[in-house]
Amino acid sequence: MLSLYILIWPVISAAVLFVIVRAFFKDMAEAKREERDIV
Amino acid sequence: MLDPVFYQFSTSTTLILLIGFYGLTFLFSTLASKKSSSVDGYMVANGAVGFGIAAASMTATWIWAASFYGAASSGYQYGLSGAMHYGFWGALMILFIYPYGQRFRELAPRARTLAEIMQARHGSSSQLILAVSNLVGSVISLMVNFTAAGALVSVLTPLSFEVGVLIAGIGVLSYTLWSGFRASILTDFAQVVAMMLVAIVLIPWIYFNMGGSEALSQGFNIITAEQADFFSTKAILEQGAPFFVAVLAYGIGNQTIAQRLFAVRKDLIKSSFITATLGYGSIVIGLGMLGMMALFMGMTPHEGDLNNLIPQVASAYLPPIAIGMLFILVIGSLSSTADSDLSALSAIVMTDIYAKNLAKGKIDNKKMLLLGRITMIVATALGLILASFSLDILVMLVFVGALWGTLVFPVIASCYWDRVTNRAFLSAVLGGLILFCLVRFEWIALIGVWASSLELIAAVGGGTVIGLMFFGFTNRNVALIAGSIVGVLCAFYFHDFLRDYTVLLGSLVAYGASTMICTAISLASNERFDFALIHERIQHFDD
Repeated sequence: MLSLYILIWPVISAAVLFVIVRAFFKDMAEAKREERDIV
Repeated sequence: MLDPVFYQFSTSTTLILLIGFYGLTFLFSTLASKKSSSVDGYMVANGAVGFGIAAASMTATWIWAASFYGAASSGYQYGLSGAMHYGFWGALMILFIYPYGQRFRELAPRARTLAEIMQARHGSSSQLILAVSNLVGSVISLMVNFTAAGALVSVLTPLSFEVGVLIAGIGVLSYTLWSGFRASILTDFAQVVAMMLVAIVLIPWIYFNMGGSEALSQGFNIITAEQADFFSTKAILEQGAPFFVAVLAYGIGNQTIAQRLFAVRKDLIKSSFITATLGYGSIVIGLGMLGMMALFMGMTPHEGDLNNLIPQVASAYLPPIAIGMLFILVIGSLSSTADSDLSALSAIVMTDIYAKNLAKGKIDNKKMLLLGRITMIVATALGLILASFSLDILVMLVFVGALWGTLVFPVIASCYWDRVTNRAFLSAVLGGLILFCLVRFEWIALIGVWASSLELIAAVGGGTVIGLMFFGFTNRNVALIAGSIVGVLCAFYFHDFLRDYTVLLGSLVAYGASTMICTAISLASNERFDFALIHERIQHFDD
């Protein structure tokens, strides 16, 4: 149980990282297609 | 002489790490965003920032150097629940602000600062209270972050504290100055990716090097019963509750959050902020676990300084390459917050000081942009000076936090209730702040009727916090019921008890007093405000 309590946080971080990076590349492709700055 | 407790990088390795980090960040910001010639772009980018960058930027901004040290210290002091009481409530600050962010965007889609909305609603005095509190708050934040850089460099490398401070200051300024907010959020993305990767790798690495479950389980024999209790009252009252109370204050008061609320595409506010809540929580609670693991392993902080815990754990259980990764993690976290503070400061000076007050209707965009960049340079210099001389100005943070606490109800009420007047707003903030000072600094002894009255006002404050949290996600009736129930329960439990916890009492009194004053004066007024005026009064500067 203690191990799960400690190690669950990097797992959640990894999931969030995946979501953020995937969204970034999607935004970048969209901006390129529409010929505008990403921000 | 090298301290055997900490691993020491050589001077050349340190310079490679720091120059490499800031060099790559500079390169990334230069390649990805051009020098900004638009004042609106310099403050809120294109106002339609996508989900990925917005979520990453909010996460990176909210994680500063103190998040790691604070979470680890909390984990070490309070045991099982310590890291949660730091990271969980900090994460909720991001979550609870987004419903109000949606309202701010609805009222003023072209706004750049929250103070600007208050100016359109009430006038300059309300605006300047918010603006000045943010100026002070962000300069203090810069100082704290530069200090953390100096401290880390002085502990892990042969370079001095001052050199670390200087490199961090110049490094952050170099990539933020030309493109402003655009550079800040783009580099936030790169920095958060690096931070998360490092956290994902290092936490399990340290855990297994410590001996895993078997070794750590033995720690239950050496910790106190309070530290072994996940629902420790001590941890809740000393760490969790003051943080919980601050949730809305920091969300409402801090321009770095408001700036991101105004920059992200409106329909993406919710998803970005929920993702950032998870991102912040997982990284900070995860790193707080390092403090808890240190406690379970029987480690004692070097020279009794809890800030030494993270470098100490890293030095004891990680190889040099991993310590280098941790070094970059801390530098990345403090830099992402520092660049956000620089962007926030420039936006406040450009919008709230220059455009809305000094320019008197004759706004010169070039002058405004120059002013924004000069602000960044001056703020960096100020942060460097304050950090280098280790000036003790943290007491000012107590005032800023209290001021933000008194602002929560008047600001939120001003955006929903048409009866709130400028007089109600100012009286509430002033009254709340005076009572806070009387309590926090115990200018009047906390005894007898005086103390009981304050506990009652604090109960109203408790009800306000819960009521506003419910209001963001539900409606006024549910919020009133939830707030009233909690207020009554608080009144019962706080009596003859809360006077012993002045930090918590002071914070709740600030909320309670400002809510009561603002409500009473507003109810006595016959004025009605047309919210459509806010939209009319806030225009794009670039048009």
